[in-house]
Amino acid sequence: MSSMKNKRFNLLLIVVVTLVSLWSLWPTWRDYSLTRQIDSFGSSQDSLKYALSHREEIEDARKKSLKLGLDLRGGMHLVMEVDQVDLFEQKAWNKDAKFTAIMQMVRANAAKSDERIIDLLLAEFRRENIRLSRYFYDIRNSDQEIVSKLEKESVDALGRAKEIIRNRIDQYGVAEPVITTQGSRKIIIELPGVSDESRVRNLLKGTAKLEFRLLREPEVMVRTLDRINSWLAQNSAPPQEGRATDSTSASTAVPLPTSLSATEPVAPAGKPTTANPLYDVVGISQNGTAYTAERSREYVLSLLRRSDIQALLPMDTELLLAAKPEVGKTGEKLYSIYLVKKGPELTGGVITEAKATFGSEGVQPEVMMSMNTEGTSKWARITGANIGKRIAIVLDGAVYSAPVVQSKIPNGNSVINGIESLEEAKDLEIVLKAGALPAPVRITEERSVGPSLGADYIRAGIQSLGWAFFAVSVFMLVYYKKAGIAADIALVLNILIVLSVLAGFNASLSLPGIAGIVLTIGMAVDANVLIYERIREELAEGKGVLTAVTQGYDRAFSSILDSHVTTLSAAFLLYTYGIGPIQGFAVTLMIGTSASLFTAIVVTREIFHLLLAKNLMSEKSFG
Amino acid sequence: MRIFQKTNFNFIKHRKIAYGFSIILLVAGMVSLATRGLNYGIDFRGGSEVVIRFEKNADVGQIRSVLDAAGVSGTLKQYGMDRSFLFSTVFQGDTGELKSLVSNALNERIKGNRHEIVRIDAVGPSIASDLKWSAIKALLASLLAILLYVGIRFEIKFATTGVIAIFHDILTVLGLFSILGGLFPFMPLEMDQSIIAAFLTIAGYSITDTVVVYDRIRERIRGQKPSDYERIFNESMNQTLSRTIITSGTVLLSVFVLFIFAGPAIRGFAFAVFSGILIGTYSSIFVAAPLVYDWLHLTKSSVRLRGSKAA
Repeated sequence: MSSMKNKRFNLLLIVVVTLVSLWSLWPTWRDYSLTRQIDSFGSSQDSLKYALSHREEIEDARKKSLKLGLDLRGGMHLVMEVDQVDLFEQKAWNKDAKFTAIMQMVRANAAKSDERIIDLLLAEFRRENIRLSRYFYDIRNSDQEIVSKLEKESVDALGRAKEIIRNRIDQYGVAEPVITTQGSRKIIIELPGVSDESRVRNLLKGTAKLEFRLLREPEVMVRTLDRINSWLAQNSAPPQEGRATDSTSASTAVPLPTSLSATEPVAPAGKPTTANPLYDVVGISQNGTAYTAERSREYVLSLLRRSDIQALLPMDTELLLAAKPEVGKTGEKLYSIYLVKKGPELTGGVITEAKATFGSEGVQPEVMMSMNTEGTSKWARITGANIGKRIAIVLDGAVYSAPVVQSKIPNGNSVINGIESLEEAKDLEIVLKAGALPAPVRITEERSVGPSLGADYIRAGIQSLGWAFFAVSVFMLVYYKKAGIAADIALVLNILIVLSVLAGFNASLSLPGIAGIVLTIGMAVDANVLIYERIREELAEGKGVLTAVTQGYDRAFSSILDSHVTTLSAAFLLYTYGIGPIQGFAVTLMIGTSASLFTAIVVTREIFHLLLAKNLMSEKSFG
Repeated sequence: MRIFQKTNFNFIKHRKIAYGFSIILLVAGMVSLATRGLNYGIDFRGGSEVVIRFEKNADVGQIRSVLDAAGVSGTLKQYGMDRSFLFSTVFQGDTGELKSLVSNALNERIKGNRHEIVRIDAVGPSIASDLKWSAIKALLASLLAILLYVGIRFEIKFATTGVIAIFHDILTVLGLFSILGGLFPFMPLEMDQSIIAAFLTIAGYSITDTVVVYDRIRERIRGQKPSDYERIFNESMNQTLSRTIITSGTVLLSVFVLFIFAGPAIRGFAFAVFSGILIGTYSSIFVAAPLVYDWLHLTKSSVRLRGSKAA
């Protein structure tokens, strides 16, 4: 009686699972056939008309259909790392020379080791025998308390960075971006179908730290440059010079813009071999502005990062380069050099709105910004107090423009100009609106697949699926005859379940995922092989078909369970520790293995019961 | 249809031959690992890779010299697809720059044969070492999980030898990767993330095959005298031989399909899984079960098994 009930329940279960799978895959089918329908029209006008009239249906199907992974449809996969050393530096309220030295050590260690930054920081402070509270938070805090506060700070920062990056991407407009965080400092970004990779990269990697900084007088700058020049002349020992530059650039916060060393020599003609080492690479015009040519830009930047050079600057000032070059008389690209105050008068946090437009002459693109009330009143005070002086608009450490303040600005408006193209202005608008990242980020991993390779992958994936299914199912038919049919039906259902679970949970199918399904095809019939072989043994012992089938299933069960559990746990660990593409493989393997427990044990058994009840099975049915 | 009619091999008697064979395989692998080492992909060593596909056939030497002349240093190899090449170089933070350098050089110097950059990968050194660590963690954790599970389901002798068999399989495949790495242009056999996935698949599958044999031994050994163990082991292995081989056969079939059709990105993985399953099947018959027998024999202990179903 109970077995009767059981049987009915199993049948119902099979029907429900099949229906749910089909239902979950229905939008994928609709999406596919609608796309084909659209492509089938002779003229693009007809296609458009059809697409418009069926818009809702198409969008709905697309939303619920099985997604293809980045590798199959083309796109970008990026891993960005938040610079925690920079973040912790920002958190310190006291930044003396000792602190700077320690942080430089931490930064150097971080580049070499896998340990968490916070541990490296703590270790370095312990080594110096200095309590963290000397620099961070409250003087009464213990090291442990500060560590946990900083840890929380970095988790918060990661979350904020993720949101800001999401904002930037949303504004740029990418369909279905996936942005996740991993660990305490990584952000993983998946952008399907992105074609302009370099623009996206530029959009993402900038910190978007906007600052308004007062410029020092031209005379002060010229005097400072004189001082640097004579210092360089005194300390000129050419071979050492190069090495010193290298070591500083390796340990400083600002990463050198990477360039292929072979194509662009970092330090050009400007090696300090002459009487005026600095003025070989830096020019000063009559009106007191300084500039450097594009080819010496890297070298000047590396000079500016050196701590011995920084010590020569007037108190609380910094030398910055222009973001964009101007074209000089000889046609050479020249970057202006600015001496600005270290502390910003105002930062980008007050910006509420940004808009890319063309300037008053209608040719130069620019970005108009407006500020919140607090910013507006500050801005009015700052501009009012500095009429006739210059205020530099600095974005991520590069000066965009340094206009002279003509009059007090009461309405909180400001403009960034010195932008090359409208596209760039648009990108600036996006990053300014999204806000500044809490700390600099850098791209540590990038994988991009073009759409044509994706199409190849899809073809290869479908071919593998088809051939694997064909080979395995034909083998089962040949080897087990009628029982093979049951195994093949179970196999079809298994593949259906894997695909429908992927579609239902909005997971995407990647090439490694397809490999997982192909592997599942081979493994799913394993359970059937174990059962059938057992049934054959039972039959060989002279048992009747009914008994043999029942005992075959019962006795094979423990092997099947053990083998599935081990495969599942391996797949699960792979999912836990793996990243990106490998997870795709692990997911399909997990779903496939679990599904095969159901399809191989329950489904085939029910098929046999049906056949047995109708007397359609005999000893010969197992080949 | 039947591949094996009733077989009656004396596996236990000839186990030493199998041990010898396994040791030769392992030692050869180790020697190659020590001398030739492994070919690491960018996942584990960090770096940038560009896959370039041309419209028409192109000559490796010519492209290499064009890229050299443009000052892009790196290595260029044939990629496992038609008219495609893989260029690898040190890690570039900005792949856009690399892409335009390569593209401009090729456009300028190789006219009349248009190219397309179909893939760019860049992995920074910190990510590479992260990936390496998580791979090692995943492998160790899975071995531990298997040890525990089989230990609970059977007993510790079975579990330990099962894990030894897994080690045997993975080390042999690793050895094969070292020996064959770089020998065939269509199959560079680089160690990357997918190979770790392959190792975990092999680990899961190797124990599957082993468990099938164990399961039969467990079913039959209950209440038997230790003097009968040799017979029981042999009979169990013979009885499960056909299912062990057929289950592996279906998986080998589908992995072989992957190797042929799924393209160069999956080929290393498919090779690893294929050889791993082949060796795993061998080791479950010739290594795992005989080791249990030796262990029982040497310690003169009898089997106390958990969790077996009454037959």
